[in-house]
Amino acid sequence: MTLDEIFPRVKTQLVDALGADEDDVKLTSRLQADLNAESIDFLDIVFRLEREFGLKIDRNELFPESIFQGDPKLIQNGVLTADGLDELRTKMPYADIAKFEKNPKFELIGDLFTVELITKYIQSKLNQKV
Amino acid sequence: MLLKDQVAIVTGGSRGIGKACVQILAASGAKVAFVYKGSEEAAKALEVEIAAAGGVAKAIQGDVAEPATAERIVAAVLADWGRVDILVNNAGVIRDGLFVRMDAADWHTVLNTNLNGTFSFCKAVSNQMVFKQRSGRIVNISSVAAEHVNAGQTNYAASKGAINAFTRALAVEFGSRNITVNAVAPGFIETDMSEAVRNKAGDIIKKMIPLKRLGKPDDIANAVLFLCSPAAGYVTGQLITVDGGLSLGATVA
Repeated sequence: MTLDEIFPRVKTQLVDALGADEDDVKLTSRLQADLNAESIDFLDIVFRLEREFGLKIDRNELFPESIFQGDPKLIQNGVLTADGLDELRTKMPYADIAKFEKNPKFELIGDLFTVELITKYIQSKLNQKV
Repeated sequence: MLLKDQVAIVTGGSRGIGKACVQILAASGAKVAFVYKGSEEAAKALEVEIAAAGGVAKAIQGDVAEPATAERIVAAVLADWGRVDILVNNAGVIRDGLFVRMDAADWHTVLNTNLNGTFSFCKAVSNQMVFKQRSGRIVNISSVAAEHVNAGQTNYAASKGAINAFTRALAVEFGSRNITVNAVAPGFIETDMSEAVRNKAGDIIKKMIPLKRLGKPDDIANAVLFLCSPAAGYVTGQLITVDGGLSLGATVA
């Protein structure tokens, strides 16, 4: 399935989950900063995507928890370490790490979660299924 | 009808405060499933009484202290009625005794029923309320004895104090889903649970209550109804004390 086919379906789910305006949900939209998602919304989104695409999305897969546990190897003084950035690259291959690593503050990590990231993630999951 | 077509679950619903909640919610138009542990006769009688009054109520046996009970009962309610709008966690027990003589069983019985039962039922309705309906009302029955403590009630006070904290924390998590979570703290209410204390010290207690009478189960049920009604749509994470002024701690001259 192409990204163009997947995006409208992701968009519908995000509009429903977040009560967002359809026009506001673009590939570049950040879930937290632009669409006002809060933590419970992320769970809601995962459940909806599972249903919409017939997928099983493991906890920790789309939104890796390791970084958020505060492991000192991965994060110190609110800034991700080199190991932390590697962890992100491994766990979130579709995230724009290149931009984030210029200023790898934990408080900015939410910006990685864009609509595009979700759409690409779904595509990779669907490809694995085939 | 204030709660027309809504579905409610009330634990500990066959007697006392729970029974009054079942009656008032059913009279307000809700379909009420209520949980009872041992009082089958009272539960069946309440079913009949509600039906005769034109309401809908269903008694379901279960011990809320058993971890599997909540899931089973919520699944049954969803199968029959398709939704859960209101949850009233009322089931509670006391096992009073001075701490040095309190054995672990008395501690765990009270915590398992009062606190863990509340947890289990909140957990069991959460998926439905949070993700499917995006609406709901949860009312936990606490007690003034959480803050205005009595000797011999370390277990009970701990369970009710924990319910108060749990209520506030859950209200924060569920707020964005239009689910309110509140608690009601009854004072001395004329129920089976308070009978022993009333027999021993009823007159003394009355003197401590500015409104000069013990509470009735309906006094509590009315507060529960308010919290479940559209009128309380902007109230969450709160503890409403309904005790005739007992907890003011004043000496009534």
